[in-house]
Amino acid sequence: MSATNRNPFILDRPTGGRLSARDAIVCVFIAAFLLLLLEGESIRATGEKMDPGIQRTAVLAVGEPAGWLADRLPLADAADELTSYLSPDDDLSGEGGFNAAPVAGPAAAAGGGTGGAASAPITTDSFDPTELGVTTGKLPALKTLLVTGDSLAQPLDVQLARRLAGDGVQTVRDARLGTGISKVDIVDWGSLSTSQTKQRSPDAVVMFMGANEGFPFRDADNERIECCGPEWAVIYATRARKMMDTYRRGGEARVYWLTLPMPRDAPRQKIARAVNAAIDVAAQPYRSQVRVLDMNEVFTPGERYRAAQAVGGRQTIVRRPDGIHLNDAGANIATAIVLARLRADFAKLGG
Amino acid sequence: MVFPTVQFAVFFPIVLALSWALMRRQNAWKPFMLAASYVFYAAANPLFCVMLAGVTLGNQVCARLIHRGEDARVRKRIVVLAVTLNLATLGVFKYYGFFATEINGLLDQAGLGLPIPLAAIALPVGISFIIFQAISYTVDVYRRVIEPATTIDVALYLSFFPHLVAGPIVRAKEFIPQLAKPRDPRKVAVGAGVVLIIIGLVKKVAIADTLAREIVDPVFGVPQAYAAPDVILASYAYAVQIFCDFSGYTDIAIGLALLMGFVFPQNFDRPYRAASFGEFWRRWHMTLSRFLRDFLYIPLGGNRGGKLKTMRNLMITMLLGGLWHGAAWGFVLWGAIHGTALVVEHQFRGKVRLPRWLGWFVVFHIVVLAWIPFRAPDLALAGDYISRLGDWGPATLWTPAVVIVTFLVIALQLAPARPMDTLRVRFEQLHPAALGASMATVILLVAATVSSQGVPPFIYFSF
Repeated sequence: MSATNRNPFILDRPTGGRLSARDAIVCVFIAAFLLLLLEGESIRATGEKMDPGIQRTAVLAVGEPAGWLADRLPLADAADELTSYLSPDDDLSGEGGFNAAPVAGPAAAAGGGTGGAASAPITTDSFDPTELGVTTGKLPALKTLLVTGDSLAQPLDVQLARRLAGDGVQTVRDARLGTGISKVDIVDWGSLSTSQTKQRSPDAVVMFMGANEGFPFRDADNERIECCGPEWAVIYATRARKMMDTYRRGGEARVYWLTLPMPRDAPRQKIARAVNAAIDVAAQPYRSQVRVLDMNEVFTPGERYRAAQAVGGRQTIVRRPDGIHLNDAGANIATAIVLARLRADFAKLGG
Repeated sequence: MVFPTVQFAVFFPIVLALSWALMRRQNAWKPFMLAASYVFYAAANPLFCVMLAGVTLGNQVCARLIHRGEDARVRKRIVVLAVTLNLATLGVFKYYGFFATEINGLLDQAGLGLPIPLAAIALPVGISFIIFQAISYTVDVYRRVIEPATTIDVALYLSFFPHLVAGPIVRAKEFIPQLAKPRDPRKVAVGAGVVLIIIGLVKKVAIADTLAREIVDPVFGVPQAYAAPDVILASYAYAVQIFCDFSGYTDIAIGLALLMGFVFPQNFDRPYRAASFGEFWRRWHMTLSRFLRDFLYIPLGGNRGGKLKTMRNLMITMLLGGLWHGAAWGFVLWGAIHGTALVVEHQFRGKVRLPRWLGWFVVFHIVVLAWIPFRAPDLALAGDYISRLGDWGPATLWTPAVVIVTFLVIALQLAPARPMDTLRVRFEQLHPAALGASMATVILLVAATVSSQGVPPFIYFSF
C-alpha cells in the first residue's frame, strides 16, 4: 500500500499532441460514416432484433437508412466477405431451417377446420412406455448430453455438466443468449438443431428456452400473427415439434424439454402460457422419446410467481432479480429433476 | 449501455458533437451532459437512476452541512453518517442476499427460527464505483481538500457517462475542477483518445471475449471435465482475460473522455510485469488501490503503529478490497491471498533480495493462482479446479490462437515500453481523417469476432 501520492494521468506520458474539438468530431464522424456504409445492414438488423422501446427506435432511425444504402452498394458484402474468416459462429445456412419448409397457415398446420390436412397417423412413438408401466429392457448408456436453449439454459448447463462429469458423460453446453423460436433473425433454431445433432450426435438433449419469445410470426401467406393466441401457439408448436424430431434422431436419442416457470411480469406470463401449451402439444407424437418437464409446477405452482421457496427446509431465493431466470439455487432444483429423468432413461448414471 | 454496441455507436457521436457545440455555454452544457449521462445509465434500467440521484443528493446535503459546520464533532458526525449511508446503500443492493443467507444458515444451526426475510434485489450496474466516488467527494470536503461544488457539478461528477459504470474511480478533486470552466476546444488529445479507444476495443472484444469463449468459461464452468493442460492454460488465459476486459474498458472510458476534453487518471500500467506485490498494486486497478490507501489503510493507521498494526491494516484493507468486488467467499479469499502476500513482503523487506526475474516469476504465479477463487463460482469449485492442476491428461482446448494470444499479452507487458510508445505516438500524430478511418477499420475487424449473441458485459459491470 505504499503507492505514490498521485496516480499518473494518461496525458503525463508522451502523446501525439493536441488537436481541436472540430478534429475530434471529424474523426468520430468519419468513423461513423464508414461504419454506416460498411455495416448498415448489421445496424438495421441489430435494431430489428431489439425489444420495442426508445433504444430500438433510436437504432432503427440510423439503421434503416443505413441498411437501405447498404442494400444498394456492394461495400457491405465485400466487407463481410473479407472479415467472415474471423467470425466465431457456426455456419447455419445449411438444411433444417424453419423457412426451408414454410410453415403452413395456422388452420392447416393445426389440421383443423374443414378441408384441413389429413390426420397424422398415431404411432408407438406417441406413448411413453414408462407411463404405460411397460419395461423397456436394457437401458442405453449416456455418452453425450447436449444442454441447449437460450439464457434460461444457464446455469443449468454447467450444473448438469458438473454432476455428470464423474460418469464419463461428455456434456456439450450450447446456450444461445437472446435467441428464441419466434426470433429467427439471430439464430434459426431449425437450422441450429440440425447442425447440433449432426455435429454431436447427442444421446440426450436438454432444452430450456423461452425467455425471448413473443415475437410475431408470419404464416405461409406472409400474414403477421401476433403472440399469444392459438394461431401463434400453432406455429410455435410446429417449430418446436420440428426441433424435437431433429433432436430425437429417429428414436435414438431422448429429449428433455423444460417448460417455463411463470415469470414475474404479467405480459411475460401471457407469453409463457402460450409457450408452455405449445411445448406440450408439440411433444405429443414423440412421447416415447421427448419428456416435457414441468418447471411451472415446481417453481410457480398455480402459476403464482414467487422469488423464494423452501429448499431443504429453508426459504431460498430461486429466481434472479429479473423475475425470469433461475438463479444457482433454482437451477440446482431443475438439475435434480433432469437428472432423475436421465437416470430413468439411461444406465449407470450417478450425479 | 455497453461501449462496444450499436446503441453506443449511435449515442456517442451525437453527444460528442452537441457537447462541443454547447461547451462555451456552461449553463446549457451541464444540464445537457447530465441528461445524456442519465440516458446512458437508464439504458440498463431506468430505476437505477433513482438510486444515482439519491446518492448524489444525499452526499451533496452532507457535504454542505460539513462545510458549514464549525464544531469539529458535528462535522465528524455528519461525515460518519454520510459514509454509513453510502455503505448502507451498497450493502442493501450488493450484500443483503449474501449476508441474509449466511446469517440464516447460522440461525438455523443454532436452532433459532427467526430467519431474515429474503429478497431478489437487482444490482445497479457500477454501484461500487458510484458509491466510492461519492465517499471520496464527501470525505474530501470533510478533510477540506476541496470546497463543496454546486449540485449539478456533483451530479455530473458522479454520473459522467465515460466512467459511470466501471471506473476509473476518479476523485472529486480531479474531476470537479475540470468543470469549473469550459474545456479548451483548441487542445483536445484526439490522437491519444482514438488510440486508447482502439486498444480498448481490441483488448475487450478481440482478446478477452475470445479467451472467455474458447477456454476460460468452459474450464471454469466444469473443471472436472478437463485435465491439467487445459486447466493450466485456462488459468493464464483468465489472467489475460480479466486484464484485457477491465483495462480495455478503462482505456475506452479514458479515450472517450479525452475526445470530450476531460482527463481521467490512469488505471493500469502493465501489471503483470510487477516483481513485488506492492508494485503489482501500483500497476493494477490503480485508482482502487489509491482509494483503499487513502480512505481505509491510512485512516486505520497505515504503517504508523508498528509491525503488527501494519500487518493488521494491510489484511483488513485487502480483505475489504476483495469483498468490494462482490458478496462471495471467493473474493474474500482472493483479498486474503493478496493481503498475506503483502504482509509477507513487508516482513522480509530489506532482509531478502530476490533477483528481479525470480521476484516476477513468484509474484506473477501467485497472482494467477489467486484469480482462481476470484473467478470460480464458489469455493468448492475453486478447490476442484486446483485439484485438476495435478491431474495430467489430454489438452483438448489448446488452439494456436488461444495459446499465442495468451502468451503474447503477457510477453508484451514484459517487453520494454519505449518501442511501443514510439509507435503509439506516431499513430497519434496521424491526420484526424486517417484516425477516423483507422478506428472504423478496427471496429469492423473486431465486430467480425463477435458471436451472434453479441458482446458479453464487461466483467467489472457486476462489481
